[in-house]
Amino acid sequence: MSITRIKPQHFAGVMALLIVAGFLLPHVANRGIVFLGGVVAINMVFGIAFNIAFQKAGILSFGNAMFFATGAYATGYMITQVPQIPFLLMIALSGLAGALLALITGLLALRRSSGVYFAVITLAVGELIHVLITKMDFLGRNDGMVGVFRPTLDFAVFQIDLSQGDSYYYFIILSCAVLISILWVLWSNRFGRALQTVKSDPMRADFLGTDINRKRLQALVLSGAATALAGALFAPWAQIVTPDLAHWSQSTMPLLFALLGGTAFFFGPVVGAVLFSVLEYNTRTLVGISDLMVGGLLLAVVLAVPGGVLGLLKSVIARKPAKSLVRKEKNP
Amino acid sequence: MTGELITIAFNALIWSMATFLIASGLTLVFGILHVLNFSHGGFFMIGAYVAYTVLEQFGATVPLWAYLMAAIVAAAAMGTAGAAVDQVVFRRLKNFEGVYVLIATYALLLVCDGFVKLVWGLNYHSVSPPESLLGVLFAGGAILPHFSIFVVLAGLLTFLVLEAVLNHTSVGRTLQAIAADPWMAQVLGINVSSVYRWTMIVGFALAGLAGGLLVANQSLSPDLAGIFILQAFGVVIVGGMGSIRGAFIAAILLGFVEAISATYLPSYPGVLFFATIAAVLILRPEGLLGRATT
Repeated sequence: MSITRIKPQHFAGVMALLIVAGFLLPHVANRGIVFLGGVVAINMVFGIAFNIAFQKAGILSFGNAMFFATGAYATGYMITQVPQIPFLLMIALSGLAGALLALITGLLALRRSSGVYFAVITLAVGELIHVLITKMDFLGRNDGMVGVFRPTLDFAVFQIDLSQGDSYYYFIILSCAVLISILWVLWSNRFGRALQTVKSDPMRADFLGTDINRKRLQALVLSGAATALAGALFAPWAQIVTPDLAHWSQSTMPLLFALLGGTAFFFGPVVGAVLFSVLEYNTRTLVGISDLMVGGLLLAVVLAVPGGVLGLLKSVIARKPAKSLVRKEKNP
Repeated sequence: MTGELITIAFNALIWSMATFLIASGLTLVFGILHVLNFSHGGFFMIGAYVAYTVLEQFGATVPLWAYLMAAIVAAAAMGTAGAAVDQVVFRRLKNFEGVYVLIATYALLLVCDGFVKLVWGLNYHSVSPPESLLGVLFAGGAILPHFSIFVVLAGLLTFLVLEAVLNHTSVGRTLQAIAADPWMAQVLGINVSSVYRWTMIVGFALAGLAGGLLVANQSLSPDLAGIFILQAFGVVIVGGMGSIRGAFIAAILLGFVEAISATYLPSYPGVLFFATIAAVLILRPEGLLGRATT
């Protein structure tokens, strides 16, 4: 499975399509679907943030829910307790909190472990955070935080009230588009390629003077920060923050999105998040079926189509002589 | 005071042996196949539900022999499931990277969850301990239920049997040879893939056995797998992946951590447990008795 790169103009095209689709949704669908649409957009960031650490740096985390919950709780706390802070600053601070948690986790665990061991450490740390959240009075213990309202964006000259109509939905779409674009730049620039060398051949990267541990730590911090930003956007969207966000089953969602869509592709988690929501929405009333479906699907992807949906699509396209959207990375 | 100490020690032992029962199969499979099996908790849960279904036939009072028989039925059922899972899933994962195998076993856990919800529903079920074990024992001011003593003995017995088989029989030596170097074992004429299959069957049967033995006093719900797999993971990892003896020692260590935190930090359940796991992993990533490989 090689990493595929996208040309900037193709990236811009795909993003434009996604944004247009996002903006059209409220005009064609009911409120339930629009809510789901916002969640899917946030999940795209959640998934890409995971995949940039997993695919690029080879870090498997089973604890990304802790970063998501950190972002959601930080924003929820600030909105309900110190609403005078500007909303954009709240989001930035929430991302910082996620970066900090990732930095601590990485400093403690990344140097001494990798692969499956690191995955299990993140699982344990994540569950520790989950338990702590349910015990903190100021975080609402098991009940979580309610009444996380959607604030007003204050730009001095004009203001946008995000609690009106679908305005917060549009805010989510645009914010996610910005975050995805930033992640794409980091995925494909020098930084992303350096991560790639660390993953493909750590020993050679070490000989060439790359500080492997530092790169891996940077990837984890980036992943934690982006995940926390997704969580921060989520809090006012759901208007409630509960400890379930930190549960370890939540940590496997981005993994599922990435594998389903194809981990080798930047847009893999995007495709995965959409597919997953469609499947989940259509099986939501069937008790047990949704777990069977998610589990069976994940198993089928790992066993039969390790490249995910996009990988499958790519191999189909590659058989035809026609021009393909994605091209194989050339060896430097 | 002595009563309190005895209670703490006893609670620690109950937790340890219950968790060891679950962790034994997990660590066995990891030791031989090097697969950290998320779905172990799922098959433990299905084992408990199978035992519950068997015991339902006996009504409110369950004789001890029926309870043991239900556990054996659960073990046999999960052993069969293990053979099927080995054939369908694990065999194909042999050449995959560790992280993908981990993801696949997690997917299997979800399948187990869905299966339980589909067959037994979302309601809580419960089974009372066998009638001859309903009494309690008073020891120095502490109250020790007979059923809990039964669980402790079952855990100890499982440990002794596994230790004896692994260290003092030719089967055990074959397993150790394969764990150390599967390629060389193959060259020496050992049927490695058959041993893999039997390891899976025994590992899953141990999960089913644990489910059957521990079914009483549990509130049976689809959450059971998640609760116990994390405990069992903790024990397996702290002990050193793949070491039965390490898992046993880690179970006792973590059992005391749990019992002490339950007594002195009752409002923070689990915090000390996960903090201990994280600390051990950071200080000694290979676990207490693990070998320092990968």
